[in-house]
This record gives sequence, structure tokens and C-alpha cells, in this order.
Amino acid sequence: MAVVTTPGTGTGARRLRRVAVPALFLIGGLSVPTVVTNVGAFEDRWFPLTTMVLCGIFVMFTLGLNIVVGYAGLLDLGYVAFFLFGAYTAGWLMSSFFFQIDPGIHIFDAAINPDSPGINLSFWIVVPIAAVVAAIAGVIIGAPTLRLKSDYLALVTLGFGEILPQAFRNGESIKGFNLSNGTKGIGPTNPLDMGWLSWTGVGKDAINVFDYKTRYYVIFALCVIFILISLRLRDGKLGRAWLAIREDELAASLMGVPLMRTKLWAYGVGAAAGGIGGAFYCVSLGGVQVDTFNFQFSVIVLCMVILGGMANVYGCILGAVILTWVNYTGMKEIGNSVNNTFGTEISVPKYQFLIFGIVLVLMMLFRRDGMLPAARQKHSREIDAQIEKIGTEGVA
Amino acid sequence: MSSMSQAVRGGGREWNATNVVGVALLGLIGLWILWNFIDSPTQVIQVAILGLCNGALYALIALGYTLVYGIIELINFAHGDLFMLGSVFSAMIISDWFGQETSNPTGWAVFALTFVAAMAFCAAINVSVDQLAYRRLRNAPKLAPLITAVGVSFIFQNVGIIWNGSAPKSQNAVLPGGSLEIGDVRVPWTYLFTVIITIPLLLLLTWIVQKTRQGKAMRATAQDPDAARLMGINTNRTIAFTFALGGAMAGAAAIMYLQNNGTTRYDAGFQLGLIAFTAAVLGGVGNLTGAVLGGLLIGLIQGLNDGAPHGLGQEWSQSVVFSILIALMVFRPSGILGSPTSEKV
Amino acid sequence: MSDLILDASQIRVEFGGLVAVNDVDFQIPTGSIVALIGPNGAGKTTFFNVLTGLYRSTAGTVMFDGQPIAGRAPHQIAAMGMARTFQNIRLFGTMTATENVMVAMHAHLKGGLWQTIFGSPGQRREEQAARDTAHELIDFCGVNGDPDEFAKNLSYGDQRRLEVARALALRPKLLLLDEPTAGMNPQESDDFIAFVRRVRDAKQLTVLLIEHDMKVVMGVSERITVLEYGSKIAEGTGEEVRANERVIEAYLGKAATHGAT
Repeated sequence: MAVVTTPGTGTGARRLRRVAVPALFLIGGLSVPTVVTNVGAFEDRWFPLTTMVLCGIFVMFTLGLNIVVGYAGLLDLGYVAFFLFGAYTAGWLMSSFFFQIDPGIHIFDAAINPDSPGINLSFWIVVPIAAVVAAIAGVIIGAPTLRLKSDYLALVTLGFGEILPQAFRNGESIKGFNLSNGTKGIGPTNPLDMGWLSWTGVGKDAINVFDYKTRYYVIFALCVIFILISLRLRDGKLGRAWLAIREDELAASLMGVPLMRTKLWAYGVGAAAGGIGGAFYCVSLGGVQVDTFNFQFSVIVLCMVILGGMANVYGCILGAVILTWVNYTGMKEIGNSVNNTFGTEISVPKYQFLIFGIVLVLMMLFRRDGMLPAARQKHSREIDAQIEKIGTEGVA
Repeated sequence: MSSMSQAVRGGGREWNATNVVGVALLGLIGLWILWNFIDSPTQVIQVAILGLCNGALYALIALGYTLVYGIIELINFAHGDLFMLGSVFSAMIISDWFGQETSNPTGWAVFALTFVAAMAFCAAINVSVDQLAYRRLRNAPKLAPLITAVGVSFIFQNVGIIWNGSAPKSQNAVLPGGSLEIGDVRVPWTYLFTVIITIPLLLLLTWIVQKTRQGKAMRATAQDPDAARLMGINTNRTIAFTFALGGAMAGAAAIMYLQNNGTTRYDAGFQLGLIAFTAAVLGGVGNLTGAVLGGLLIGLIQGLNDGAPHGLGQEWSQSVVFSILIALMVFRPSGILGSPTSEKV
Repeated sequence: MSDLILDASQIRVEFGGLVAVNDVDFQIPTGSIVALIGPNGAGKTTFFNVLTGLYRSTAGTVMFDGQPIAGRAPHQIAAMGMARTFQNIRLFGTMTATENVMVAMHAHLKGGLWQTIFGSPGQRREEQAARDTAHELIDFCGVNGDPDEFAKNLSYGDQRRLEVARALALRPKLLLLDEPTAGMNPQESDDFIAFVRRVRDAKQLTVLLIEHDMKVVMGVSERITVLEYGSKIAEGTGEEVRANERVIEAYLGKAATHGAT
């Protein structure tokens, strides 16, 4: 069941699949809120819209990390850094946090009080800014570290992922200036808006900015855009260079691929997705808290990429949706059901780490390419398995 | 096949710009220590000694990283969490099984027993994980065992949550309390014991690696696993033995940590593990002496940062250690005592 | 513009105390086919690695096409027009043959990030043209397998030919072939001699090859340079080299041990 077709080979069945899969994805994705809110209590309990919105956010993160880990083969254990930058960017630019700026700056925003101080930009202006801020952070983190060997790179990214939250936690008073509000975080942020539509009042009745349905559609749209970007890049010059680096860095450089620049692009694009996801997360929750940003987050997103299938966009989406659901609803509800049925008092969410740990280990041992492997991996894995088998038999 | 297999980009140690920056950074750290010392000598000596004692703990954990990396080039991400499990295990034996709460001869006997048990416990777990998971991934791409280790780390942490609870638990020390006082400098006895116990362990480890048959097999496997196998060395058993040694060191560190800090917490391993890994890299990963040196140095720097007059203070402790890690990786990935790595063309 | 495509003078490479290349002077006239030969461990591949920027020489200068290569990264030297193949094949295994060739066009393709994301018409035309060129090169080099097959699944001979196709995609002025006929049977080797000439004439480039098969070396090269223990011991036409006493000693004198390796 190869979803990703090799470019340039257009047999009928493959072409059909190329159209059918995105079409199914679009229809399914768009109908989620309608189904969830209209069908009944079962869906409401097992598939609440709040979780569906989180699924969208994690799809964004997973697609971003997939560019770094899946396409370019660079293990990043500090992806949380980009999430952090995106979220704080939204916190800074969409709230009264910088109360020193009075009267405040208001651009297309949906702030309740137009006299409120601080920087109040529309979410749609903040999204590209957050993407750029995160991408720049990615390049700054990447530039000195990308020449390291893969496992060292993992540790250095992890180091950044630990330093940044600590810096923001302690950033309450940098020479008297409050940058991050420390452990209290920044909030409340302005609600999600429809930009110019909200501002002119055209969409005010049509689009209710406070409900989860709108939020879902917004993150869904952002995800669709990034999916298209992922697919386009994969089939272009840059995607080929990423794959070549993943396969054989040295040969790639001797064929004229500039290693640093190509890797930095992977970092930048991947980080941009983290920034967009972070900005949306902040706005969706109405604020940002520094405790959200920890190593566990980086590993959970990595789990999603690996579970779904490295380098396969649809696999990553699947992995993100499944694990987000398990994390935010599945474990709790399964626990409740078990406890109600058997009269026990097991706290299933307590086993979150265990479940993610086991997912990682089992996937690595038995299905390294994920549930939906990219076509190229799946194909070659079978041959690898044969060679490995012959090899071990030969030695034994 | 011809015999071409030399280092990419210059074989020897070149004095290029990045190297110079690396040395300059070390120099700056030296100046900073000196500045602190001139300002308040007693306080610096005090925190330096405490830092070095902590450093001995880091060294013990760092050895586990360095041994495993040296032989299969795996950053054993779960090693810190193994240490955490060791501390919870020790607390269970001392407090729950034997009910020892104070320093008395029975308590010391129980401590001695637990010391051996904790080493055996951690060694056994480490070997089991290797045999169950990493062993199957010997020929896999490098990322696979690393990601597996991250997964194992998560599993260990969850075991820690179930075993110890999600909140830190305070534990009583059974080693003598109080401090040794020399002038104004006070060093708790438990810290001194850590050093006293670490030294013979290090000597023993060095002897095993340098002199015994098993140690020679380890070094041969680290050099070239295929050639070692052809020479009749059971590489799998040798790797398992290495995991056992590393685990035993973590077990020893765990019980000493318990006596020093008097708490068990499920996330202790993540923090300490990363610090210890930094120590291993600082010394030159794969180099035993380097790991010890790195551990002591990191302990010293951290102690001074947390307690000296011109330090950034404890809330930046982690950041300082990780900044050292990052600066090292960028400017001198081979560490103080390590040798540059190479790729074959 | 000189008539030397490559002018290396006094190249020295040391690894620790070991001298791998010992003050070698080496010139390649534009448009020629030259061979670098020598016993195993003579420093041939090391010399290749210096030319392509993988190693920095301890001393000496390399002028390529009139410009010094010192301080340039491998990908920059490649973009200047120096392409190579590898002694042990280094294709991108899980990419198709076509994609492998297209990777080497990286330096020539203009489509940047934004053009790729928005799929501008120019970028699409460029991609299509690149794909067509890749297919032509694959045909030109005589790869028999399916161009959409993964490189690792191609036959050994096809993989060797695909490496040449990939190198040609760089539009090189100088093509370096590292033991190109290793593992080929005599018939294939003969075909290869004709192929190298065809490449040189059709693509108007210069070829430098490292080769062990004396039949191929004598058959194809216009000039031969012999290395032993990192030093140049002879240089000249096939006839001259064949008559050189030191070369005979280096090869025949050690024929027995050489055969054993």
C-alpha cells in the first residue's frame, strides 16, 4: 500500500491514488467537526473537538519535524525550542503584555478593548512572523552544530531544548525588563480572529471566533498549506538534496550539494512549522506557560513521526492524530471505561511515558519505517532484511 | 580494495580557529574561577570541594556512557534513568526492607549489602536491555538504537513514577552525618565517603579494562568488531559485559547519591544523566580517564556557579552545563583527551 | 586560459607522521585521458581526495581550470567542474537512478525554495528538462535497468555506469574515475575503454582514472603517471612507462605479494 509514488512514474492506478488520497484526506478532515458535534454523546466523549484541535496542532509539529528527521535524516531532540519561540511570539504580539506601549498598537486585531496597551496584531500577521522567528532560531541553532555527527547533533539540539525554557523561566527580569514573565507565563492573549474580516465586521456573525469549530478549521487550513509545502519540497531540488544527504553525506557533497546550506534549509523549514504550531497553540489556549516546554514534548513529536512513518507525509499525519488522541482523550477514557466496568481505580494517564517509550522501542525493533512507510524505505527494507538474514547466517 | 582509510580533512590535530576558541573558552573558565577565589577564598574552597565530590558521582555515571559509547558508538540515553532506578532500589532495601533510618553499625552493614546489591541490580538491568533491544539493532542505521534508548529512558522513568511516586520522596541517610571541619571549610562526611568509595572503584575498573582477558576483548571489539569476531572473541558477550560494568558504576553512583541528597525522584536520572554525559564528552567520549576528569571538572564548575560569589546561581545551573556541552561539541567535539574521528572514503 | 586543465605542484599529504603523498607534481593537458597507477597503498585515492577537496594537502597547490582550489569546500570544487566516481560505489541507494543523476544537477538548477513551493512555471519547466537530461545521460552511459528503479536494486555493472552518468550530470570539465573497471569481466572492460573515449569526445572533457587493470590503462590512456609509496616514480606514454625500470620493479618485483592481497 504505497501512498507516496515515485515521481515521474504515472501508471493509472498510481495516478488515481495520487488524487484519491488527498481528496479523502480533505473530505474526512473537513467533516470532523460536523460529525463530532452532531452525532451524539459517544463522539463527544471519545472524540471531543478540543482534542481534535490539538490533533491539528500536533500534525503541524510532526510535519515540521518530519522535514528535519524524515527527509534530511538529522535527529533533532530539541524541537520544543521552535514550539517555544512560536508560542512566545504570539504571546508578545497578541496581548497587553508589553503594557509599556500605551496606547497600544492594533492591526486588524480582535481585541475586546481597542484602547488596551501592548502590541495587538491579528493572528494572521503573527503566523508568518512566528514562522520567521522560529526559522531564524532554527538557523542560529543549526549553523554551529550541523557539521556534527548525527548522535552528537541530537545531544546539542537537546541541550538547546533545555536551555531555552530555563532562560524563559528565569527571564522575568533581565536587567529589570520582563521578557517572559517567568513561571507565570504570558496571558491572556487576544482571541483568534479572522483578520480583516473580523476588523471590518463582515465576518463577525458568520464566523464565531470563540468556538472550537472555527479553531479546528483554522488549524486544518494551516496544516493543509504545510502538507502541500512538504510534498512540493520533497519532489523538488531541495528534497532530492535532503534525501541524498540522508543517504550519503559525503557523496552528496562531491556531487555539488552544499551540505550546510541544505541542512539549514531543512532546519529552517522544519522550525517554521514549529513556530506556526506554537503560535496557534498559544492563541488557542489563550496564553503561554513555560512549563509546557519540556523534553517530553520533543520526544512525543518524534514518536509521532516514527510511528506514522519517517519521510511519509500521510504517515506523519496518522501518527500525530493517533498519539495525540491517545494522549489527551484515549488514555483517560479507556481508563474510565475500565474502572467503571471493573470497579477499579487505575489511573491510566499515569502510564503515558511507558506507552510512548514502548511505542519507540517496539517500532525500532519491529517496524522501523512506521505504519505507513515511505515507498522507498519499504521497498529497500525488504532487501535489507534479506541481506541481514544472509549476513547473520553467514557469521553464525 | 586498497588500504585507503584516513581521516577526512587532515589527519592530525590542527591548530585551526575553532580549536583556538575552544582553548580560549577553557582559559576563560580558569580566569573566572580565579576571580571568585580572590574575592572570597574560603567560600570558593568550600563550594569547590562540594562540587568535586558531586563530580565524583558524575564521573561514575559518565563512565557508563563512555564505556558503552566506546564499544558500540551508542549514546545510551537511558543510562541516567538506570541510575535513578538504582537509587529508588537502594532506598527500598535500606528503608523499606531493613527499616534503617539512622547511622549505626547495623545501618552500615545494610549499606554495604545494598551497595553490592545496587551495583548488581543496575548491571543486570543494563545487560537485559542490551540483550532485548540494542543487540537486535547492531547492524541497523545509527539512529535506530539511539531512538530505542530514548524509548527505554521513557519506560524507566515511568517505572520510577510507579515505584517512587511522581513527587520526590525524602530518605534518611545511614552513613554518619555531620561534617569534617578544617578551619571555616565544612565538608559533610557523606560527600567524603563518595570520594573514598569512588577511587577504588575507578582503580578496579581500570585494572579490568587494562589487564584482564575480558578487558582486552573489550578493547579489541571497540577497535574493530568484525576483526575481533574473526579472532574468536565473543563480541556479543563482550558488549554485554561492558553494559554490566557501566550499569554497576551507575548502581554505585545511585546509592552514594541517595546518601548525599536524601531524596529519590523519578526525574533525577534525566538531569544527572545529561550532566554526566556532558562530563563524558568533555573528557573525550570513549576515554575512561577523560570521563573521570570531565566529571570532576563539571562538578567543580557547577559547584562554583551555584555557590560562588560571581556565579549565575542555581537557577541557571542546567543552562551553564548545557552551554558547556554545546560549546564543546562545536569547538572541540573530541573532548580534552579524545582523538579526532574519521570517515572512510 | 591555459592548456592544462589541472596543474598540481608539490602536493604533500601527511597523516600524523605518515607521508601518504610525497611532493607530487602532476599536470593534465586539457582534453586528454590520463591514468594514475601504482601498487596498493601508493596514495592514489588520497591524491583524488585532495583534488576533490575531501583532504587538505599539508603542502602544495592545485590549480584547476586556472583557479586554485585551496580553501574551497568539496561542493564548490564539484560545481567548478570536477566530478568523480568512487572505488566502492557510493550511489544514493534508496533514490531512483533518475533521481541520483538529478542530485548532481543541484549546482546548475536555479529553482529555489519559493519557486518550488509555489510551483512556478519556470521551476516546472526546469525540473522537466532536468529529468529529460537525466534520462539522456542514463541512456548515454548504457545503464540497462529501469531509470525509475532504486539504485541499490540495479545490477553491479549498471551501478558502475550510473555513477558515471551521475558524475556527468555535473557537466564536468575533468572526470575522475576511481578504479572504474573493478569487478568487470574482460569483455566489459573492453567496452569500457571505448566508452571512456566516447565520453571524452562527446562531452569534451578530460579524464583522469585510477586503474589496476593494465590492459585498460594501456588501452585508453594517453599519459600515465606511476605512484609508489606516495612518490611519483615515472611519467610518460604507455611505451615509456612500460620500459621504465623502477615501474617494472614496483610491479613485477612485487607481483607475488601483490597477488596475495
